[in-house]
Amino acid sequence: MTDDVLVVDSLVRRFGDLTAVDGVSFRIAPGETYGLLGPNGAGKTTTISMVAGLIAADEGTVTVAGQPMTPRTTGPKRHLGLVPQELAIYPDLTGRENLALFGRLQGLRGAALRGRVEEVLSLIGLADRAKDRSKEYSGGMKRRLNIGIGLLNRPTLLILDEPTVGVDPQSRHAILESVEALSGEGMAVLYTTHYMEEAERLCDRIGIIDSGRLQAEGTRDELVRLIGGVDTIRLGGTGDLAGAADELRRIPGVERVETERRSAVLTVKDAPALVAQVVGTAAAHGVTLADVEISRPDLESVFLHLTGKGLRD
Amino acid sequence: MRQLLVLTGSDLLQRARDTSLFIFALVVPLALMSVFNLVFGSIEQLELEPVTVAVSAPADDDMAGVLVEVVRGLKGQAGLDVTVDEVDAGTARDRIDDGDAALALLVPDGFGQAARMGEPTSVEALRGDEAGIEADVVLSVVDGVLEQIGAGAVTARAGLAEGVPPQELADLVGAATSGGPAYTLEQGRASDEQLDYGSSLVAGQAGLFLLFTVGFGVSGLLLERENGTLARLRSMPIPGWVVVASKALVSFVLGVVATAVLLTVGGWLFGAEFGSLPAVAVLVMCASAAATSVMFLIVRVARTSEQAGIATSIVALVLGIGGGAFFPVSATGSLSALLDLNPVSALLRGLGTTSGGGGLGDIGVPVLVMLGFAVVMASVSRLVPDRGVLA
Repeated sequence: MTDDVLVVDSLVRRFGDLTAVDGVSFRIAPGETYGLLGPNGAGKTTTISMVAGLIAADEGTVTVAGQPMTPRTTGPKRHLGLVPQELAIYPDLTGRENLALFGRLQGLRGAALRGRVEEVLSLIGLADRAKDRSKEYSGGMKRRLNIGIGLLNRPTLLILDEPTVGVDPQSRHAILESVEALSGEGMAVLYTTHYMEEAERLCDRIGIIDSGRLQAEGTRDELVRLIGGVDTIRLGGTGDLAGAADELRRIPGVERVETERRSAVLTVKDAPALVAQVVGTAAAHGVTLADVEISRPDLESVFLHLTGKGLRD
Repeated sequence: MRQLLVLTGSDLLQRARDTSLFIFALVVPLALMSVFNLVFGSIEQLELEPVTVAVSAPADDDMAGVLVEVVRGLKGQAGLDVTVDEVDAGTARDRIDDGDAALALLVPDGFGQAARMGEPTSVEALRGDEAGIEADVVLSVVDGVLEQIGAGAVTARAGLAEGVPPQELADLVGAATSGGPAYTLEQGRASDEQLDYGSSLVAGQAGLFLLFTVGFGVSGLLLERENGTLARLRSMPIPGWVVVASKALVSFVLGVVATAVLLTVGGWLFGAEFGSLPAVAVLVMCASAAATSVMFLIVRVARTSEQAGIATSIVALVLGIGGGAFFPVSATGSLSALLDLNPVSALLRGLGTTSGGGGLGDIGVPVLVMLGFAVVMASVSRLVPDRGVLA
């Protein structure tokens, strides 16, 4: 794993008596999107502040592209693109000027700078508004510019700190699509969010963080398995549901069947794989199905299981 | 260095687009200069009224004659229009009572002889109820002449006590009363540190608003934090000091430009002359450095840009008023020394020197005061625990 873009090892950060981050460790490989999922105040922003070299860790280390990251080091920051949660743009500069400023600070110059600025303007869909001051942009446009600045230096590691907070659905969709495209290009992405659906959609692996500690990490399915998660298939309809129940229980993978007058709820290992067989068996016993509903455990369930509270608590 | 210039250039561009800076740094001080000039400008245009002095002096007393001639000789001096009426003592008193004369001088018989012999004597001066400043000017001149004559009396007493022969004694008294002072102090133009009121107003307002102007640059650090851009800057591959240094540079440049514009425009509008351009430039740069150093102390202790703005206003007004931005300030003892260390005061003194014809070689003291102030403030800001943007 020496080629991991980011290695976070046993990070600790205290603010007075409060331990905001307590022994957090994780790694991100090239092209991987890693999500830090947790409620507000869980320690996500403090963690990425140490990863980005904004604040020093009290204990532990951060290594970016093989180089140790601290607030004083500049080398690893050349590999970094940061998109802070708050808009970090200059309102009195135009979109192009904002990009050019940060591009220069990252060491770009001349034709390379101009070319990259135009590329990013196109990428974030602001080419036709590049001459306008950013204070005249809509909220979504400002968000896109905020992300664009993080992409200027073609970072090896892109850090996105809750980039969709306070964003309208249309812009949110555009942002999520952009992140998917970036990870497809081989960029390692560290994505913090408290939106379960974003983590599920974007992240190859997810770390669940709460009270400054990484409670668990893995792929979505691995996390679900951690809590012994099973799916449910709910059948609604008329006919001999009770009679069909015995046959349904014999299907491999079906663990339990509970019936009521017009419905049956099946607890199964893998609902998508079994649903066709379940529907066929019920129909064979004369059941006329009105609806079929599949429920799978999600990250919310996992978080609830691990921490005893909901993501939005 | 390149990154420092990039940040500074970008910041200056943003400040140039910020109308509040333009208003605070140029419009408000020029407006204040105009108002003060309209209200107090007439002080400088004081015109002396003609003054009549009724003099009663013994006709055969050459010492009294000297006194009368000195008063008569004031006509045409420093704008004075003095008319001397030689009358008897009673008439002189009547003139005063009637308001026909502003001043009456009653020289007693034997005045000159008494002076020569070192005997006590006095000249009675009567000032009319409605006499103006012109009468005071004449009186002060008369007082000076009498002091010189008094020197003769002292010489006479000393001579008599030592048994000097009468002829030699007369020569000594004559020398003491008419020879003038043994030492004279000639003020070169470079040591003239008094600006006229109009120039003082322009320079004072420029000094006061210099503090507000540099505040815009330094408080930009707090705004960067509030706007979130400081975090982004810190994630860039640049040393941390570059961000702080760029703000200092921005403050310095804003201060120099705003003060230069204020002195130029103010000088043009109100007829102020500040003399040697290189010397004035050095003074403005030193003042800007001193002002910037204060702002760094403020940024160190202020948590928000709002707090920094309030602190800047307080510091600017205290230093500005204490430095004579609105009106001349004088004090005694330690407070006087403290006022002299005020950079606004030092700027005004320096500009007084240059306006009097002084050059680079004559402004060492105010330059040292301002640079010393900057060093002390910068040192203090390093010692103060950081509650602000860099915490």
